[in-house]
Amino acid sequence: MSDVRSYETYQGVFSGYDLKPGFLDEVFSPEGKVFPHYNLVLDQFKQFTTEDFNELNELAKVSFFNQGVTFAVYSDKARGVERIFPFDLFPRIISASDWDHLERGVIQRNLAINLFIQDIYNKKQILRDGIVPAELIFSSSHYAKAMLGINPVGNIYNHISGTDLIKHSDGQYYVLEDNVRCPSGVSYVLSNREAMKKTLFNLFRKHDVLSVQDYPQQLLSIMQSVAPNSDNEPTCVVLTPGVYNSAYYEHSFLALTMGIPLVEGRDLFVDHNFVYMKTIYGPQRVDVIYRRIDDLFLDPLAFKADSVLGIPGILGAYREGNVSLLNAPGTGAADDKAVYSYVPEIIKYYLGEDPILNNVHTYRCELDHDYSYVLEHMEELVVKPVDESGGYGILVGSNSTREQREELKKVIAANRRKYIAQPIMSLSLHSTFIEKENKFEGRHIDLRTYTLLGKDKQYVLKGGLSRVALTKGSLVVNSSQGGGSKDTWVLAK
Amino acid sequence: MLSRIGNSLFWMGRYIERAEHVARYTKVHYVSSLDAPLALNKENTLESILDLMGQQADYYQKYGQLTDDDVLCFITIDDNNPSSIVSTVNLIRENARGTRDSISMEIWEAINRFYHSINKYDATRFQQKGIFSFSREVEENSSVIKGLIANTLIRDEVWMLISLGINLERAVQICKMILTTLYDVEKIDPAKRGGPAENYQWTMLLKSAQAFDMYKRYYKTNTWRRNILDFLLFNATFPKSLAYNLSYIQKNVQSIAFQEAKGKDSITFKVGKSAAQLQFMTIEEVEDDTIGFLNKALDKLYKLGRLLEEKYLVY
Repeated sequence: MSDVRSYETYQGVFSGYDLKPGFLDEVFSPEGKVFPHYNLVLDQFKQFTTEDFNELNELAKVSFFNQGVTFAVYSDKARGVERIFPFDLFPRIISASDWDHLERGVIQRNLAINLFIQDIYNKKQILRDGIVPAELIFSSSHYAKAMLGINPVGNIYNHISGTDLIKHSDGQYYVLEDNVRCPSGVSYVLSNREAMKKTLFNLFRKHDVLSVQDYPQQLLSIMQSVAPNSDNEPTCVVLTPGVYNSAYYEHSFLALTMGIPLVEGRDLFVDHNFVYMKTIYGPQRVDVIYRRIDDLFLDPLAFKADSVLGIPGILGAYREGNVSLLNAPGTGAADDKAVYSYVPEIIKYYLGEDPILNNVHTYRCELDHDYSYVLEHMEELVVKPVDESGGYGILVGSNSTREQREELKKVIAANRRKYIAQPIMSLSLHSTFIEKENKFEGRHIDLRTYTLLGKDKQYVLKGGLSRVALTKGSLVVNSSQGGGSKDTWVLAK
Repeated sequence: MLSRIGNSLFWMGRYIERAEHVARYTKVHYVSSLDAPLALNKENTLESILDLMGQQADYYQKYGQLTDDDVLCFITIDDNNPSSIVSTVNLIRENARGTRDSISMEIWEAINRFYHSINKYDATRFQQKGIFSFSREVEENSSVIKGLIANTLIRDEVWMLISLGINLERAVQICKMILTTLYDVEKIDPAKRGGPAENYQWTMLLKSAQAFDMYKRYYKTNTWRRNILDFLLFNATFPKSLAYNLSYIQKNVQSIAFQEAKGKDSITFKVGKSAAQLQFMTIEEVEDDTIGFLNKALDKLYKLGRLLEEKYLVY
């Protein structure tokens, strides 16, 4: 590695830059060369001193803080402490050809997932044909019986999908997760771009970067495309749990940039199966709701009876076709870890195509062959229960003790259906300015893409949210775990 | 517009105006008292500041005695005092946060900056910077925010409801300042009334209302009780006067397309009547019982605010 450092590449803020063996670095090749699409950025960055970077960094931070681009960290104080989502000035760049592949891949994947959701609430053909085990779907806590027989406008259920991807050491992208409930983070993509344009405007002059600013307009036109009736201009709204929700910034940002009202449950009511909002002029009908509250809280009559966030009777209005909901309730039955492992088969079943994007290979413990493999190779695998979320119950083989593994083996044996295992993926690294060290270091990143589906409309946000694990060596990119983010550039052809 | 948003906009306007008036009144009175030409009782000044906000009882519940530091902290940066300036600024921001899809990004950013700059003050910083600096920060932020309200919003219901809040609160604060001054004057030894001690109080009133220079330009005389009251109550061209603000409240209420029946019970009628009354009122009519007049005016303003909320802004 020492010979790599002597390269002319690693100067100024890049001096002493480490390449981590066995991992893919997005900027530097293993031979210490800069990948061509990063050349211009590197040229500019090498001219900066550490002081320049610190100054730019501060500028960006102040800009976020003043704009209120923050998330609340709850504490014992009455007012939550507000933090900005750490932002790194070194953009992640995706070449035109890579992007083309990704874009086709996420559209294919989410179209198939949409057909799957429609099927599991109607004919259930894929379950009858034994492609996906029926038990897996019906036992999902996100499967909503209230959705049975409902065909929303345009037959779209997952209007907004956040597909999480990583780049593995083999140079290929892999899908890590499908988020088809209320995927968040898109406001950071747009705010990051604004901050970059303010601080590093020179870089934009030299690159042909595809715009992300059309997202709100695209989202609005998706909403309008699925409005229940077309007589009048439909009234679209964003529904938020309120100012104390940690993602409130995003909710208000989306409403503001789409130019539509941001409402809370208490602003809405249902009368004769139509939804209205309370205005200073009296009740006004609502046609399309982008809801950012969970299924469970949406309608106290249908789901959680003690929800104060929801609107009693809204599901009745939805069932009658008088209001459209984004995303449809019950989509969660399609994005858990077990269903994930069937997505390649789902794509083939509905579209008759081979999947464009890779799944991480998944061993299903219910299959005898997979089961014995998992038992023998547990140290090299991540073992996950299919129905938990938030990292609960996960065992990372390489970080586990012998006792933990033996214990887990017993648990799996008792309920093989409940467990899957995957190889430990090596997320790619990206140069990131580390304030504490005052220089650039490699950090693991992933990518959340945003796909919109409407009536005869498809759109993928050109870029997405690149999340960075700021702790050295860490593979955890979540903001709650101290992760940060980067502006993500897709280069024009 | 959502009723909830209407409510937030209205109160955002009221709190912006309230924070500014309380800050300026406190600053003007306290800073002037430091080198008051007469042996003015400093306790009177501190009590006057508490009186403006109706907080004497609240203060004494927390503190045994009247001291500069305690009164100033209580009024300005005390988190636990729901009427303190910092609490008011927090309410401005909370209301603005709920209405971000209605107001401009510029207004929101200015309010957010205001919030962060005021919340940076703890007791130590407040001691270092002093009331003068603190108040200036409040006044300047308030001017910037109101400038952006004036210059970045469509003249629709959003602007009208914020303006309604601002004008209503300004009318309230002016009435309260005059009342507090009248009480302060009553505390002066009758033998000394009409002299420099009383004159001092009236000058403070003008300065607290940011009216000193315009008053002098208008009357070209020294401060004189009757002229000052006339100026602050009935002058139709001065933006801080009661009459001026009521005529704006009237305009705003008329322009908002509330759905209400015409007639004596409508808000439009009630506001119109009050504004018209003030328009043709003279100082001679209230001179003998100014305190009575002001109390009635305040009562009307409070009722108007409540009526507005109950009829249109409940949710």
